[in-house]
Amino acid sequence: MEILACPLCKGDLVLNVQSKEEDEIITGTLYCEKCNEYYPIDDGIPNMLPPQLRK
Amino acid sequence: MVSITYRKACVKLTDDVYEPAEDSFLLADATLGYAKEGMKVLEIGTGTGFISAVLQSNLDVDVLATDINPYAVRCACDNGVRTIRADMFSAFKPVQCFDMIVFNPPYLPTLEEDKVPGWLNYAFDGGVDGMRFICMFLENVPLHLRPNGIILLLVSSFTEIEKIKFLMEEAGFESQIVLKEKYFFEELMVFKGILKDKTEKMKSSGNIT
Repeated sequence: MEILACPLCKGDLVLNVQSKEEDEIITGTLYCEKCNEYYPIDDGIPNMLPPQLRK
Repeated sequence: MVSITYRKACVKLTDDVYEPAEDSFLLADATLGYAKEGMKVLEIGTGTGFISAVLQSNLDVDVLATDINPYAVRCACDNGVRTIRADMFSAFKPVQCFDMIVFNPPYLPTLEEDKVPGWLNYAFDGGVDGMRFICMFLENVPLHLRPNGIILLLVSSFTEIEKIKFLMEEAGFESQIVLKEKYFFEELMVFKGILKDKTEKMKSSGNIT
């Protein structure tokens, strides 16, 4: 998780955990303050695509 | 559900995700040949997760994979591979932390009318000259690989081999073809690149004491 960056500005992300199983984050978000953009974590998978590429 | 078993790994397949083929087997063999216990490995464009799954079924390594296709990311996760949805390296900080980075690129020269519908196009479409993602990979990979780290890149005879050698040298790699196999209509090969350590080079030339 510490090597992940915002795909738009390469800046740091703030992790917000909504649910966890043992050490694994199941749902949550990674937030970039600079771009005001959220990257969702769903079912254990971070979606690090910029919004226009997510579809 | 259809699955493939190869070198101790059982990999489930799914619709809209590239089905492992000769190229995948060749790159999996090379990856197993050069990976060592304890390595941190990144696979770009993992698809079903086949190569990463083969690797972690045989060696105690720390594997992370990416794909842009949502069905591929789901499939790779179901196959036990830690995967994030990302476009190449775009979600990673430029920290040289991986010991090995593996890529089976989409390499088919593809015109607008050759594109296949949906996410599966990402598995084949290498741009008009087939080089688009190979170039992107070689430009960015040195930012994420530790000095003396290894890249393994699958290349087809559809691609300009000499150009790849040149681009690898330009990116700071010592390149070598380590596996080669002829098939019906193409020859596939695996390029290995070792990222030259700039500080060592400077030390030996006397710039750093």
